[in-house]
Amino acid sequence: MKPASFDYVVPRTVAEAVEALGDTGREAQVLAGGQSLILEMHLQRIRPGAVVDINRVPELDGMRVEGDELRVGALVRHAAFEPATAVPGPLGALLSRAVVNIAHPPIRSRGTMAGSFGWAHPASEWCAIGVALDATVEVTGPAGARDLPARDYFLGPHRTARRPQELITAVRLPLLGADTGVGFIEHRRTHFTFAQVAVAAALTVHDGVIVDARIGLVNAADRPVRAHAAERSLLGAETGRLPAGPRLPDGHPFALAGRIAAREDAAPVAQPYADVEYKRQAVAVLVGRTLLEAAADSHARLTAREGHHR
Amino acid sequence: MAQWTRREDERLLTGRGRFVADIDVPGCLDAAFVRSTVAHGRLRAVDCTAARDVPGVAGAWSAADLPDLPPVPYTLLAGLSTEDAVAGREWPALVKDRVRYPGEALAVVLGEDRYRAEDGVAEVTAVIEPLPAVVTPSAALDDSVRLFDGLSNIALRGEAGEPVDPAVWRDAAAVVEATYRQNLLMPSPMECRTILAVPEGDRLTVWSGHQMPHRLRRELAALLGWSPDRIRVVVPDTGGAFGSKSAAFPEFVVVAHLAVKLGRPVRWIEDRRESMLVATRGRGQDQTVRLAADADGRLLAYELKIDADVGAYPHLGVGLPMQTAWMAAGAYTTPRVHATLRSVLTNTMVTYPYRGAGRPEAATAIERTMDLLAGRLGMDPIELRRRNFVPPDAFPYETPTGRRYDSGNYAAALDLALETLGYDRWCAERDRRRRDPDALPLGIGVSCYVERSGGEAGGLHEFGSVEAHEDGTVTARCGAAPSGQSHETVFPALVAKVLGVPEARVRLVEGDTDEQPEGLGSFASRSAQVAGAMLQHAATLLIERARTRAAALWGVPAEQVEWADGTVVHAAPGGASATGLGDLVKATGPLRVEDRYEAGMAFPFGAHAAVTEVDPELGTVRVLSLVAVDDCGVVLDPAVVRGQAFGSAVQGIGQALYEGIAFDDNGVPQLSGGFLDYLLPTFAELPPIDIKDTRTPGPGTPLGAKGAGESGCIGSPAAIVNAVADALRLADPGLLQMPLTPDSVWRAAHAPEHEEGAR
Repeated sequence: MKPASFDYVVPRTVAEAVEALGDTGREAQVLAGGQSLILEMHLQRIRPGAVVDINRVPELDGMRVEGDELRVGALVRHAAFEPATAVPGPLGALLSRAVVNIAHPPIRSRGTMAGSFGWAHPASEWCAIGVALDATVEVTGPAGARDLPARDYFLGPHRTARRPQELITAVRLPLLGADTGVGFIEHRRTHFTFAQVAVAAALTVHDGVIVDARIGLVNAADRPVRAHAAERSLLGAETGRLPAGPRLPDGHPFALAGRIAAREDAAPVAQPYADVEYKRQAVAVLVGRTLLEAAADSHARLTAREGHHR
Repeated sequence: MAQWTRREDERLLTGRGRFVADIDVPGCLDAAFVRSTVAHGRLRAVDCTAARDVPGVAGAWSAADLPDLPPVPYTLLAGLSTEDAVAGREWPALVKDRVRYPGEALAVVLGEDRYRAEDGVAEVTAVIEPLPAVVTPSAALDDSVRLFDGLSNIALRGEAGEPVDPAVWRDAAAVVEATYRQNLLMPSPMECRTILAVPEGDRLTVWSGHQMPHRLRRELAALLGWSPDRIRVVVPDTGGAFGSKSAAFPEFVVVAHLAVKLGRPVRWIEDRRESMLVATRGRGQDQTVRLAADADGRLLAYELKIDADVGAYPHLGVGLPMQTAWMAAGAYTTPRVHATLRSVLTNTMVTYPYRGAGRPEAATAIERTMDLLAGRLGMDPIELRRRNFVPPDAFPYETPTGRRYDSGNYAAALDLALETLGYDRWCAERDRRRRDPDALPLGIGVSCYVERSGGEAGGLHEFGSVEAHEDGTVTARCGAAPSGQSHETVFPALVAKVLGVPEARVRLVEGDTDEQPEGLGSFASRSAQVAGAMLQHAATLLIERARTRAAALWGVPAEQVEWADGTVVHAAPGGASATGLGDLVKATGPLRVEDRYEAGMAFPFGAHAAVTEVDPELGTVRVLSLVAVDDCGVVLDPAVVRGQAFGSAVQGIGQALYEGIAFDDNGVPQLSGGFLDYLLPTFAELPPIDIKDTRTPGPGTPLGAKGAGESGCIGSPAAIVNAVADALRLADPGLLQMPLTPDSVWRAAHAPEHEEGAR
């Protein structure tokens, strides 16, 4: 299949890009990495009147720490997060663990984090991390710039609170404290394809007691999900001695949180080879295992800090 | 360059291959097809008017606009179809009044390029009144929805062997029964289908990535009403076929017809989306088996019933399931074997040979059932196989299903597979894990297969020639057409070896019907076995001809002329005279021999073994080790055979674990994400694969080569499924149906009844 004909616009500034998007006479699509858009255009499931290619807008590139947040510009590619040290602290570890699950290297070298937020696929790793950590999506439109909290941003598959004339300029993620451990586990049929279910977790542990828990569910609903009910069940729980293997005893707080996430937080949509029952099972198992990974990470960080101070 | 392994590698790996889509013909039009979005329906109207006004569109036609458009030809080759099956069931190249599979072509648009043509496609409107769709044999069998009014959906019934006396089942010490689904697969070559038709004077040159250029020439000539010599078919570099590129497809009929009608070059370059919708499928059988043994594990009887999904039209593959029936007996001396089949029309694209072509279905059925029987008898599955193998001294061996196995040593292949795997070590690990509640369960599976290569009776020959030139070089020609089988490397090396000349002096010409007037092509793993044997034969004839020529030249008896290293030699008492091949041609004129050579049907075999680890909470299967021991007789080029075995094994893994087509409620495949929905194993999924061989020469030709290409597809799936069943210790193997997706394995692992047998 070939794309239908379209206008191609190459702005040099955010203002020019917004102007191109603001032409309401034709439907416009923003092109950054193009790893989803171009395929959809090939299949003619999207037939935009104009493609606004933002790759030559220098102010959209680069990421940096601002205060207690990481600001990721709209042109930062997935691959930028592959080294765990690209971003400070446990957030860097979480992004690094998650990013290798995004398709394969050629796609990661072009696709962008902001593009994932714009596309809002229910199986996006970044979007689930965004809702779990309370990220912020920065957009600029004809009426100026505004911040959209991730929790209010996702409205359904490929549907967001961004208006068609608005451009995502950056995504901001809160940095994680040194006492937070992270985990990310994805379940999919082959390395190349989308997650059937994946889970991101961040656990903050003080003196062996969980004081904060953040759990993001990938592809467990028609949009990314923060597993609030499961998180609440963990507050005040003791991590105790961690099981060695991937399998958790039924009564373990992580196993319990997994069952709560599957029952109360997830709202799975059936897919070929993953009906609702199976997805709930996968959510329960993966939440438990990811929490275990996060707790182990937290423990390892604590041990490293103590070793450093000794 | 020295670093390339094969002659074709430098060209192909540096981007200098020349495929049909690379051939630039001035004024060529691109075809794009308007395709049905429904699986089954009555076509009420097609309107191409608006498409004709699109800039760059040269024309747009529905079936009504092309009254002379011939229908799609059927084939009787290898019993793939029959006159009875196609009677009353026309396959129009463009839908006339009834859509029978999703994606079936409703109209064609020709444009200056593919973009323009697709712009035209977007302007064509069609009205289809949907009918209920039947996409599985079980749904289609009762004829409550008929694909052809007044005709049953059962287009062919067949059997091999004799019915088993009920007393045998009644009196047997152990009888097991099971049902298996052989999943419908897509062959998925890297390059999809291609055709470029160029009218030149009163001739038509057709370029196509194709396995059987002479068949394509014959079929196109018949549908144009031309004599075959007016058509030249050329096969340039071709990016894989796996059986799926040997017919004249509906789109080919349309392209050839329009090229002649318009007097302009026309091409169709199938894209992946089209290929996933309308290229031929493989496998697709629902099987029921019954196997009986005495208390010592001697097999008594085996019964295989097949309901085959042959797709919407019986023209290309309605008889393909007979390949399964004929090979039902497997590697064993079971005295009574009876296979029956019903080929059922469904609202899917047609089923056609795909690497293995009927033999994987047979091997998987018997090999899964052997494990089931071993469990019932409380016997080691390895031992059960050993007790029943056709022994090496029993060949040629006639099976109850009518095959005559040529040669083999099945136990030797199994021994090598187990030794390579480290069977005892893995058994110990499996048993250790069974005692450790925290360990993931591990299982071991084997599969011992026999298959058939070369082709069916009447199709076991090949044509070709060997010609010597004045400069001492040699040209070999044959009727084969490679799509990745390394002919350019292997065949010249073979001819050079027979003649005793350097390989570099021999050149191969094939895949061009003007260069080689007759030929069969490349299918059924026949390249080395049949075309190789033919070239060996022709090269031997050339030596005889050269000796006769030299004898006449020198005025001596032919028996005094010897052949040594590409040279004719006369050893006389007064001193030797010797003349090279080139000088002989200079002295005596053109030297070329051509012939038709017929090989015997061959039966390659092997043993595959797999170790898998299962995560019962998620249903994930991880293959820890796969060993493939294949015996294809005499090996011409070990690196090439190894590559074939490896690729084939990967496709076997694909069938076992990943590849499947899900349908929506309207019978349309859920493949909108392309290869994100139809999963092929990728580099990241590959387990360690050990390829080994045993070499039992095939008696069917002096060369002794058997088919090498399809082994992995045939042997690997059952080894993997058996390993998963072993890991989970399933009482009901029917819970495991390919592909073993995580959800299905999770359900099987949590089914209430678990076998707690003594294995």
